[in-house]
Amino acid sequence: MKTEADNVVTADVDERQQGLPESDAGRDTAMQVLTDTRRGRSQWAEVWRRLRRNWMAMFGLAIIIVIFFTAIFAEVIAPYDYRTQNLRRIADPPSREHLLGTDDLGRDILSRIIYGARVSLQVGFVAVSISLILGGTLGALAGYYGGRLDNVVMRFMDVLLAIPSILLAIAIVSAFGGGLVNVMVAVGIATIPVYARIVKASVISIKEQEYIEAARAIGATDLRIILKHILPNSMAPIIVQGTLGVAIAILSAAGLSFIGLGIEPPTPEWGAMLSSGRHLIRRAPHVATFPGVAIMITIFALNLLGDGLRDALDPRLKQ
Amino acid sequence: MRNVSRTAVVVALIALAAVIFLAGCAREEAVEEVGKAQNTGTLVVGMPGDPRSLDPQRTNDQPSARVMKQIYDTLMYQTEDLDVTTNGLVESYEIVSEREFAFTLKQGVKFHNGEELTANDVRFTFERMREVNAPAAFLVAALDRVEVVNDYEFIMHLQFPFGPFITHLAHPATAILNERAVLAGGDEYDRNPVGTGPFSFVEWRSGDSLTLQRFDDHFRGPAASERIVFRIITEDTQRTIALETAEVDLIYDVGPNDFEAVAAMPDVVSFQTQGLTTFYMGFNARKEPFDDARVRRAINLALDVESATDVAFRGFATAARGPLAPTVQFANTNLPGYGYDPEEARRLLGEAGYGDGFSTSIWTNDNPIRIMYAEIFQEQLRAVNIDANIEIVEWAPYLDRTARGEHDMFMLGWVAVTGDADYGLYSLFHSSEFGDAGNRTFWANSEVDQLLDEGKTNPESAAREAAYMRAQEIIFQEAPWVFLAFRDDLAATRDYVEGFRPHAAGHHVLYNVYNR
Amino acid sequence: MHKYVLRRVLLLIPVMVGVSFVVFTIMFFTPGDPAKILLGERAPEAEVQALRTQMGLDDPFFVQYARFVTNALRGDLGRSLTTRRPASQELFARFPATMQLAAAGVLVAVLIGIPIGIVSATRQYSLFDGASMVIALVGVSMPNFWQGIMMVLLFSIYLRWFPSSGYGTFAHLIMPALTIGTSSAATITRMTRSSMLEVVRQDYIRTARAKGLSEHLVITRHALKNALIPIITVVGLQFGYLLGGAVLTETIFSWPGVGRLMVDAIRQRDYPVVQGGVLLLALTFSVVNLLVDVLYAYIDPRIKAQYK
Repeated sequence: MKTEADNVVTADVDERQQGLPESDAGRDTAMQVLTDTRRGRSQWAEVWRRLRRNWMAMFGLAIIIVIFFTAIFAEVIAPYDYRTQNLRRIADPPSREHLLGTDDLGRDILSRIIYGARVSLQVGFVAVSISLILGGTLGALAGYYGGRLDNVVMRFMDVLLAIPSILLAIAIVSAFGGGLVNVMVAVGIATIPVYARIVKASVISIKEQEYIEAARAIGATDLRIILKHILPNSMAPIIVQGTLGVAIAILSAAGLSFIGLGIEPPTPEWGAMLSSGRHLIRRAPHVATFPGVAIMITIFALNLLGDGLRDALDPRLKQ
Repeated sequence: MRNVSRTAVVVALIALAAVIFLAGCAREEAVEEVGKAQNTGTLVVGMPGDPRSLDPQRTNDQPSARVMKQIYDTLMYQTEDLDVTTNGLVESYEIVSEREFAFTLKQGVKFHNGEELTANDVRFTFERMREVNAPAAFLVAALDRVEVVNDYEFIMHLQFPFGPFITHLAHPATAILNERAVLAGGDEYDRNPVGTGPFSFVEWRSGDSLTLQRFDDHFRGPAASERIVFRIITEDTQRTIALETAEVDLIYDVGPNDFEAVAAMPDVVSFQTQGLTTFYMGFNARKEPFDDARVRRAINLALDVESATDVAFRGFATAARGPLAPTVQFANTNLPGYGYDPEEARRLLGEAGYGDGFSTSIWTNDNPIRIMYAEIFQEQLRAVNIDANIEIVEWAPYLDRTARGEHDMFMLGWVAVTGDADYGLYSLFHSSEFGDAGNRTFWANSEVDQLLDEGKTNPESAAREAAYMRAQEIIFQEAPWVFLAFRDDLAATRDYVEGFRPHAAGHHVLYNVYNR
Repeated sequence: MHKYVLRRVLLLIPVMVGVSFVVFTIMFFTPGDPAKILLGERAPEAEVQALRTQMGLDDPFFVQYARFVTNALRGDLGRSLTTRRPASQELFARFPATMQLAAAGVLVAVLIGIPIGIVSATRQYSLFDGASMVIALVGVSMPNFWQGIMMVLLFSIYLRWFPSSGYGTFAHLIMPALTIGTSSAATITRMTRSSMLEVVRQDYIRTARAKGLSEHLVITRHALKNALIPIITVVGLQFGYLLGGAVLTETIFSWPGVGRLMVDAIRQRDYPVVQGGVLLLALTFSVVNLLVDVLYAYIDPRIKAQYK
C-alpha cells in the first residue's frame, strides 16, 4: 500500500536526479529550471493552457472533481444512510435496490463508498498538508540558513527515510491509538522527508537569485523573504508532489485500516470496508471488490493529474 | 503520456474494467480438484495462530496448547466431552481428606528422552511452575506441596479445600515435565520439549510450520499417524482454501463465513460442536450510569442479541442467556434470557432518569466479530437514544486499560477451559478479582461472592451445583454483562481423515487421527 | 573510490543511531507495561514492580535509551515478551523469508518493467506503448493488499493454479512475489521508458544514427547502456520499499517473514521485537541503498572522478 505509493514519489524524484545520487544540492535539477523562471499570473495561465491540452490529465482531473462533488454532496447522492443496517440482507449481491450490493452488516455498499469519498479525501489532503507544513518548513529553514541547521535537519530526514514509511506509520498509530486524526498525523509524519527535500532544493536554487538579493538589500527580514519570495517559487514541484502525495496518503490510510489500525467504525473508510469484506471473499466477492475499485480509480486519477501537472509545469520535458 | 493514442487507452481501460467486473461478480462454479495425493503417513493440520512456546510453564495460549497436547500428558485426562478420567498418567487416586489427595502413577511410562516417569518428575513439575511464575500457575494455586512417597506414589497437600482441583490436573498447562530434560534444555528447552505424549518434537519453522513425529514407546501404544505437521495459516479464507485444495488434511477454527461452503464441499467432513467460550459485553459498574442495574437491564433489552449473533457468527453460535456455556459443568440452562424489547428498555431508562438517553462508548479490540457486534449495537442503541462511540484498541493495551477501569462498555470473551463453573465464573464475577484477574466490570455482590467461594471450596458436587445455580440467577438479574453468545467450535477434515473428534476446549487430541 | 565507500559506510552510523532513537521514543511512549505483559494478567502488583525495577523500566528515559543502544550494539535486542526468547533470534528466524520475498519482488519488477519500458520507448505513441503505460499507471494505483486478495480469488479459488498461502516451494512464492512486485514493476516500466527517451534524444545517439548504425544496434549498444544507469538506483530503492510492503503482503499470504512478525508484535505490545524489527529493516534498507550507490558510482564515471 504504502509501497506503491512511495514508488510513485521515488520515480518522480529520481527522474530528476539522474547522475547525481549524492549531492543534496544537486538534486532536482529540473526544479531549478522551473523555479528559475519567475512566475506571474500569466505563468499559471500558461501552465493551465498546457495542462488543458493533455487530455489524460484532464480526464484525471474530471474524475477527481466528480469524487469531490460526491464527497461534498454525499447526503444528496447516496441512496441510503451509510449506517443503516439490514440484518436480513447480509452481503447481498448487486441488485436493483442496492446497485453494488450490501456488506457484512447489510448496509448499502454504494452509499458507503460515496460517504467514504469524504473520509478518503479528508485523510489525503490533511495528511499531505501536515507533511507539507512540517516538511516544507524544515526544508526551507535548512535550505535558507544552510550550515549546521541544514546538517541536523537533513540527517534527521535521512533517519526518517531509512524507516520504511508504512512501518513508521504503523508504529505511530499503535503508540497513539487509531482514529481519523491520528491516522492523518501518522501518515503525514511518515512522508515529511519528501517535502523537506523538495522545498530545500528549490530554496537553494533561488536564494542566490538577484531579486532575493535585492529584497535583502532593501531590508526585508528572513521570514518575509522565505514566505513572500522563496515559497511561492517552490510551488511547482510542491503541487506535483502534493497531488501524488494525496494518493500516497489515501493508500497508506487504507493499508492501516486493513491491518486493523485505522479509523473506527461505522466510518466508511474504503480500506476498512475492504478489510471487513475479505472474510467474505468466497461467498460474496463484491464486498471486497468495490471498495478496492474505488481506491484504485481515485489513485489512478490523482496519478494522471500528477503526471500531467509535472509535464505542464516542467518546460524541459515539453518536447 | 499525453500523446498516447486514445484508442489504446480506451481499449486498455475497457479490458481492465472487464477483468475487474469478472473477478468481482463471478459466481463460484464447480472447479476440478487438483489436490495432492492422499498421504497416509503425515497428517497436515492448518491452524490460525503461531504457538508461543512449547514449554507449558511459559505460556497459556491456545495455539501452543494445541501442539503441546500432542507432546505432553497430564496427570488426569479430560475427554472430548469434558469428563475427567484416569486415562492420563495417573493409575488411580484417592481423596484422603479435602486437603489431601493420594495418587498412584502408571508404571513404565517413558519420556521422549528414554527416561521413565517417576513421582519425582511430578514434584519437579509443580515446584517449577511456581518458581518460574508460570502464566497458568493460578490453576493449582491451592497446591501447597507434593510429597513423594516412592517412585510411583505421591501425595498432594492443599493449602485450602479446592473443589475443581482434580479437573485442573487435566489442563494442558499442568502437563508433566522431565526434570533432566528441562535442566539440560536450559533456555532452549521450549524449542526442545520432552514429554510423555504420543508425538515427539522434530522441527519448528517460526511463523510457518511445526513438525512432530510419532513416539513409538508411548504408554498407550503408538499413535495412528507417523508425523504431524501443523501449518500456520492466519487468514480464515486461506485456511479453508488450503483444505479445499487438500494442501492440508484438517483445519481448526473454520471462519464462520466459510463454514457453509465447507460443509457443502463433497470431499470434506465438517465438525460443529458446542464450545466453552462465552462472548459478552461488560459494563463498567463503577461508572455512571452503569452503576444502576436498571440501566444495565435496559441495555440488555434494547439489544437484539439473537439477530446480532446470527450475523456476527453466521449462525454458528448460540445466543447466550447467562454467563456459562451449556457445556460447562453447573451451567444454569433455565435462565429466561432478556429478549429484545426496546419499549421496555425505554421505560426502564426513563425510570432510571435517562429517558433522554446519554453518550457512551463501546470498546473492542480488532477482532472482526466483536467489531461487528459493536457496530450492530451502536445502531440499536441509537433507537433508545443512547449514543455510543466505538473505540478499537489493540489487544495488549485493551487488556491493560479495561483492567484499570477506563472503559464504559467493552467486548470480551472467556473460555472456561477446564469445563468447570469455577473457572467460568469466579474470576469474572468475584469482587476479589477486580481488573487484570478477570472482573473488568468491577461489579460486586456479596451474595455472589459467598456463593462462588462456596462452589470453589466445597468438594461436594451437589452443594457446588446449588451454589452456582443461584449465583447465575443473581448475575442474570443484576446484568453486569450483556450476555452475547457461546461460540461453536468449527473444524473440518478431508473425507479420508479418520478418528478426529473435536475437543470442547479447542485443543484437539490427534492421537487417533490418521489419513486413510 | 575507497574514500567514497568509506564515507558512505560511516554515514550509516548516525542514521542508525537516529533510527534507534526514533523507534525507542515511539515505543517508550506507547501505553502498556512490559513487565505486566511479561508476567501475565494475574501477576500480583508487587511482582510486577519488582520486575520493572529489575528490567530498569523506572529509570529515566535516556538511561534506558543508552542501555538499549549498548545492548543492541552487542546484538542483544532484549527478549520477546510473548515467546520470552531473544528478539534477535525471533527476527533472524524470519529474516530470510522476507529477503526472499523482497528479492523475488524486485526480480518480478525488473523482468517485467525493463523490457516493457524499452519496447515502449522504442515505439513511442504506439498501441503497445499506450496500453503498457496505462497498465503501469493502474499498477501503481492498486492497493497491493487488495491485489493480493483478488489474486487469491482468481488463482487459488477459481483457477486452482497456485496455493493460497504458505512458504517453501516456488509455487508458494509466485503470488506473493507478484503482489509485492507489481507496483515496482509499474514504476520501473515508467522509469525505463522515460530514461530511454531521454537518452535517445542525446547528441551521441544522433551521431550514432547519423553514422548509419542500425536502429537495433543503437538501442542495444548505446542507448540502453546509458539509460540503465539511473534505473539501477530506482531498483535499489524499490528493494527497500518492498521491505516495507512486506508487512501487508506477508499478512495476506501467511508468509513467515519479519513483516508479519512485527504486525503481530505491535498488536501484543511486544516492544523488543518491534524495536529490533524496525532497526533490522532500516539497516537492511540502508545497506542495500549503499550497495546500489556504490555500484552506481562504479558505473558512472562522473562520481568516480569526484572521489579520485
